[in-house]
Amino acid sequence: MWILIRWIKHNSYPLFALILFGFSINQVLRYHIYQHSFYFKSSTAFFRTIDQWKSNVTEFVNLKQENIDLRNENIALRNQLKINSYQFNKYRDTQYFDSLNSKYPNLKTAYSYITTKVIRNSTNSPDNFFYINHGKLQGITPGMAVISPSGVVGVILDCTDNFSRGMSLLNSKFEITPYIPELDLRQGVLKWDGKHSNRGELLEVNRTEPVKKGMKILTSNYSSIFPPNIPIGTIEYINPESKSHYHEIRVKLATDFSRLNNVYCIKYHFKNELDSLNMSSTINPNNND
Amino acid sequence: MIEYIKLFFIALVLAFLQAFIIQEVDMGFWMRPMPYLMLFMVLPVNINKYAQLIIAFVFGTFIDLLSGSFGTHAASCVFMVFIKNLIDHRFVDFDSIQLQGENYINIDTKGQLFFTYYTISLIFIHHFVFFSLDFFEWVRFFRILGTTLFSTLGSYLLVLLYKSIFRR
Repeated sequence: MWILIRWIKHNSYPLFALILFGFSINQVLRYHIYQHSFYFKSSTAFFRTIDQWKSNVTEFVNLKQENIDLRNENIALRNQLKINSYQFNKYRDTQYFDSLNSKYPNLKTAYSYITTKVIRNSTNSPDNFFYINHGKLQGITPGMAVISPSGVVGVILDCTDNFSRGMSLLNSKFEITPYIPELDLRQGVLKWDGKHSNRGELLEVNRTEPVKKGMKILTSNYSSIFPPNIPIGTIEYINPESKSHYHEIRVKLATDFSRLNNVYCIKYHFKNELDSLNMSSTINPNNND
Repeated sequence: MIEYIKLFFIALVLAFLQAFIIQEVDMGFWMRPMPYLMLFMVLPVNINKYAQLIIAFVFGTFIDLLSGSFGTHAASCVFMVFIKNLIDHRFVDFDSIQLQGENYINIDTKGQLFFTYYTISLIFIHHFVFFSLDFFEWVRFFRILGTTLFSTLGSYLLVLLYKSIFRR
């Protein structure tokens, strides 16, 4: 501390000049329209480049865990495809789906996936956001769901040509309807608890429901954004002394937000159709024609 | 005391001259002289260097307010005075100037050559910072440099004119 004070005392003249100079530069950047826009345009580009570099480095460091996650995901996918494994091995997947389409014209793809990479992510503010390195040009649109190999991540909010910003599950405004497969229960709201990057809380589940510790929570088929059965988390603790009509449930989130790297953006092809239906029923709820 | 009041009025006159006359006259693409830097040439040598920085900042901000260019004059004045103090500390012997009965660097005390080098280099530093902030793009570096050189020349001629009129 004394060394610092002595250093400041010794260099007080250049520091004082620097403060006054900095103050003037601040005025230039704040009040001159051209300088202001130029500065912010360049600095945004600069910081996005730095983020890209950082993401490359962290990607390398997290490679081992990423491998484990991918392997687990592969196993899960293989299990899902057990019935179709014969056809699946025989054809390349697009051909397979094309052949299915020609065979069954009523069968339509509901969800399509785009692989992207997270280049910036926060976990310690009250409303967290993440940035991915795909944008409008790569087919990302606002409202798309984002999942990681291990579970739900968030929703895309806005896109530029090559980057997009998403609201992460660790955001006070993020809510999702959960599905507990053991009870076949689609009730309540899952939110972030606002404190820990790996915990959420499950609200509005009736006390009569026999929820237990360790039960898995997945996305429900009520969601118009997320496909069903994507892991959200596991029940970690149920408060036995809750006085309300609802359980107080603490959930351990499936996604490790501190190690977010490869994610999938999911496009739901029937979203517009569903939204238009919602809209028409809101405009005229008693329309029986 | 009278000395400081005189300086204050000189500062006011120079600021108004800059903002309302010199800046309004179109002298061409490359020429934007700023003779108000004369003020820093006639500041008494015994003023504290921190006070000089504050004077530069306040004076620069005042001209910014008058001419609507927030921060550019202030930043370049502060930078110039910072360099001026470093140069003064290294190359100028204040005791000899004060022994000759003067209070600032003058043609009579230090000679024409020294005065020219000293003034032109300070004006150049000021103008370079000013035009860098004004153009704000390194792509236009040669335009910044060209404007700085021609304006330095213009400012220096106006400083000499001021010197010959007021004999300060």
